[in-house]
Amino acid sequence: MSVPLTANHKSLQCHRWDGVLDWAQMLSGAGLITFMWMHMILVASVVLSPNIMNAIAEFFEATGMAQVGGPLIFLLFLAHFALAARKIPFRLEGQKTIWEHAKLLHHTDTWLWVVQVVSAMIILVMGAIHMWVVLSDLPITALKSAARIQSGAWIYFYLLLLPLVELHVGIGLYRIAVKWGFVQRTGRKGLKRGENLLTLIFISIGVITLIRFWFLKG
Amino acid sequence: MARELKFNIFRYNPQDPESTPHMESFVLEETDAMTLFIVLNRIREEQDPSLQFDFCCRAGICGSCGMVVNGRPSLACHTKTRDLPDEITLLPLPVYQLVGDLSVDTGSWFRELYDTVESWIHTKKAFDPTAPEERMENEVAEAIYELDRCVECGCCVAACGTARLRPDFLGAAGLNRVGRFLIDPRDERTEQDYYQVIGNDMGIFGCMGLLACEDVCPKHMPLQDQLGFLRKKMGITALKTFFKK
Repeated sequence: MSVPLTANHKSLQCHRWDGVLDWAQMLSGAGLITFMWMHMILVASVVLSPNIMNAIAEFFEATGMAQVGGPLIFLLFLAHFALAARKIPFRLEGQKTIWEHAKLLHHTDTWLWVVQVVSAMIILVMGAIHMWVVLSDLPITALKSAARIQSGAWIYFYLLLLPLVELHVGIGLYRIAVKWGFVQRTGRKGLKRGENLLTLIFISIGVITLIRFWFLKG
Repeated sequence: MARELKFNIFRYNPQDPESTPHMESFVLEETDAMTLFIVLNRIREEQDPSLQFDFCCRAGICGSCGMVVNGRPSLACHTKTRDLPDEITLLPLPVYQLVGDLSVDTGSWFRELYDTVESWIHTKKAFDPTAPEERMENEVAEAIYELDRCVECGCCVAACGTARLRPDFLGAAGLNRVGRFLIDPRDERTEQDYYQVIGNDMGIFGCMGLLACEDVCPKHMPLQDQLGFLRKKMGITALKTFFKK
């Protein structure tokens, strides 16, 4: 390296952690995306038959995966939030800047980032409530889930949480693919189309599952 | 019949203590193949000689006429009025120091950036002015040229959400510049050397992947691919460094 010429030269600092944290953010996100989609498919098994869902839940509990895996997923969820929060403006000044910027630019991907951040904040609270309610009342059965959804305002809770999670997950996958160069500029449009379709499919599966729970009686 | 176009233009002269930031409207009749370069020159010649804006080549080569056109950073000389609605709002590029009205100082910003990323060939070989130039593969030369097409207009940085949030972010222009040296066989810097320059949140790991840079670049530089390449390259270097200790 040559001798730095200016006082503002920053290349002498070594930032080992920034790269590692970026990996951790991406991998925790990818892990949660995989989990969310699997979770959706497994819960949606109730549409085929409550017995199938019960059998799957029983398998996860018998093998200890629900008791151990559940809290681990919760930790991964919190870790992902902490990692991604490094890029979120928490001060009002920064929030105003990015809001004004998005409004001025009329740029879809910038808006998608705003959606990602806002949904993240809501998912942090609602996801934590969901995990607490489910994991503190094991075992999971189709009838217990149905009873919860049919009581109080839980149906509205899930009707809000479902699209927020699927949007966050869909945008997150798109972002990882373009940010890390897994998809090149020629494939970006197709990726976005595919991503939108996948998000719609998962929201639809979720809504159908909620309807099934709504009408499931003991 | 020609359209009547209304231009809302940001006006402010930081040198004048009496001046306050405000928008001023001008009306012009549209002509054939009219660009914003023509518009602003006509306004200055026919309506207000005090209007400040930068131009040089009027052909998308010098990169001095970057401004925010209806919300999008663009080159005014490249922007045809026929592609715009009847009402057009022109603002100076954010991020850079305002000279006056639509004129900003991108030069100082880029100068500081190039000092930071050490934007020159690093080699221990002594330069021999009499020797023939070192040869390189045509493909490599073309790849370098592709990244060297940047005209430093500053549009990518003005459109970047990260750059708006953190002033020390190098932006797509800076990262692209580093990428240009990374593939240059004459530059003897190692991956570790590059990692020290851009392997941080000020550099490639600060990029949030909003890709406005890619979408507004008037030269259609391959910024998405370049940022992806650098993130992967520096990401692998980060892991190597991390597990080395």
